[in-house]
Amino acid sequence: MVFITKLARVGAQAARQLRATPLAASQCRSFHASCMLAKERRFTDKHEWVELLDANKAVVGISSYAQEALGDVVFAQLPEPGTELKQDDECGALESVKAASEVYSPVSGKVTEKNAEVEDTPALVNSSCYEKGWLFKVDLKNPAEFEKLMTEEQYKSFLSSSSDH
Amino acid sequence: MSILLRRNSSQLHLLQRLGAASSAAITRLASSTNDNNNVTDTATTTTTTTSTTTSGNKRKTLAAVADADIKKSVFISQSSDIFTNLALEDWLYKNFDFGHHHVLLLWVNEPCVVIGRHQNPFTEANVSKLMERGITLARRNSGGGAVYHDRGNLNCTFFTPRERYDRKYNLNIVTRSLFREWAIKTEINDRDDIVIANKKISGTAAKLGRPNAYHHCTILASANKLHLGESLVKEPANYISRATASVPSPIRNLVDVNRNVNVPQLLSAVGYEYLRTAATALEDGGSTQTMKQRGFQLINPTEKWFPGIEELRANYSSWDWVIGKTPKFTVEKELEVKGDERGMKLKLNVEVEAGLMSKICLQLPQSEQLVPVVTPLQGQAYNEQNLNAIMGALKLVSTSNMQQAMNGSI
Repeated sequence: MVFITKLARVGAQAARQLRATPLAASQCRSFHASCMLAKERRFTDKHEWVELLDANKAVVGISSYAQEALGDVVFAQLPEPGTELKQDDECGALESVKAASEVYSPVSGKVTEKNAEVEDTPALVNSSCYEKGWLFKVDLKNPAEFEKLMTEEQYKSFLSSSSDH
Repeated sequence: MSILLRRNSSQLHLLQRLGAASSAAITRLASSTNDNNNVTDTATTTTTTTSTTTSGNKRKTLAAVADADIKKSVFISQSSDIFTNLALEDWLYKNFDFGHHHVLLLWVNEPCVVIGRHQNPFTEANVSKLMERGITLARRNSGGGAVYHDRGNLNCTFFTPRERYDRKYNLNIVTRSLFREWAIKTEINDRDDIVIANKKISGTAAKLGRPNAYHHCTILASANKLHLGESLVKEPANYISRATASVPSPIRNLVDVNRNVNVPQLLSAVGYEYLRTAATALEDGGSTQTMKQRGFQLINPTEKWFPGIEELRANYSSWDWVIGKTPKFTVEKELEVKGDERGMKLKLNVEVEAGLMSKICLQLPQSEQLVPVVTPLQGQAYNEQNLNAIMGALKLVSTSNMQQAMNGSI
């Protein structure tokens, strides 16, 4: 198992470095379960997260800190597939206890899918913000934007350093 | 960049026109906005960059802004048109720099029902009846439930940077003003409503964005309770919808608690309480504090003062916004038809998407099957009148005919 995880990590790294040559991508996919462990999530200072699905595709959601700050989400308004987004564009809203909070896109690109399950059951954002509670998927226009976002470590220290958001 | 400049100059323009701001204050504002410009110059340039790409810097500067360096203003809107006031609120939210200047906007409207951003107007009110009575229906940009406004209701919008958004502080300004002015004791409940003996006198909603946020609330001074009650009743039908639902609460007018209460005096009481209180802590600074602020300013929400406000107003008053933004829903209503001796009830089932009737179907008794109805109303705007028109047309049909027709069509 340890070996497999390691291999998957190597695979994922290779995928990232080579901008996912088809071989590397399929290698990554074949170790699906362990690949999830190695997947890297990046964060913005506005508490959104981005995860790469492959070199040009990413999935976006909000962080655990953000969902806690919001409280129970009762309505999710998500961007329609086909929408062209620029980084930091307002692209939707999450409503909780009488407050509508704008959602900003952490990356530029074209929306390919929105999470219909979250629209039906907005509470998923609270119960599973990194898994079932993702918001939308994008075709990245500028993958370099992803690299500039905070890593999980950096985000954690960002949270602890700024108590006042 | 040009947009940014225009934004700053319009802000200056606004202050000059307000007349209340001293020239020193204007230069201070000018210098502070220049700082922002420089920051964005070094970064790249889009309108949002001031707030977003530089938010790291901004957070530091905001944390460093001491209470004493934050000035406060009370803006009093000179309009009583709901769409104009929503546009003014939105204009300030989108364009104003609240970093060193917190604003309380006070506004009053002609009779209207205002629903939350993600609500279904048809489950909150009878839209057709509102039109008949001349009560305007509006959709605001904040969350929360439906409220009724008229001249007996005061609206307060508290603007701050997102980092300084604090609902409890704002609500305490209101409760403290009521106590100071009329010795009325109120409580803030867990839904952030202000209540007197469990009856609501104020409802709350908020909009959180970057860099700005606002929290607004209603205060019922002497609203028409009969109209309020009647306006917030929906057409009897079964609505299936994911839209944010309102929580109906018993309400009370302040005038029923103390007969001296009236809207102009309430407006000045809340305004003074806001000005005499420190910017972020609930500390009363008395008249010394009040003198340090920018005071009351009468605001004329016109294109001349706020470039672009007309466009915002046009959006707020458009069908596409008020009705078109309704989250997808289905309405079911039982149909009484002739020859109903066997107690067979048909159900009309209408699917509404973006305010338009996308599917009109009939559901047979003891059957899950939906049979499409051919009608010219398909694709038309949904409202209670149209629903009842379909009902009326179908009433003339007998059950057996219907079943035959359906069997034929299947």
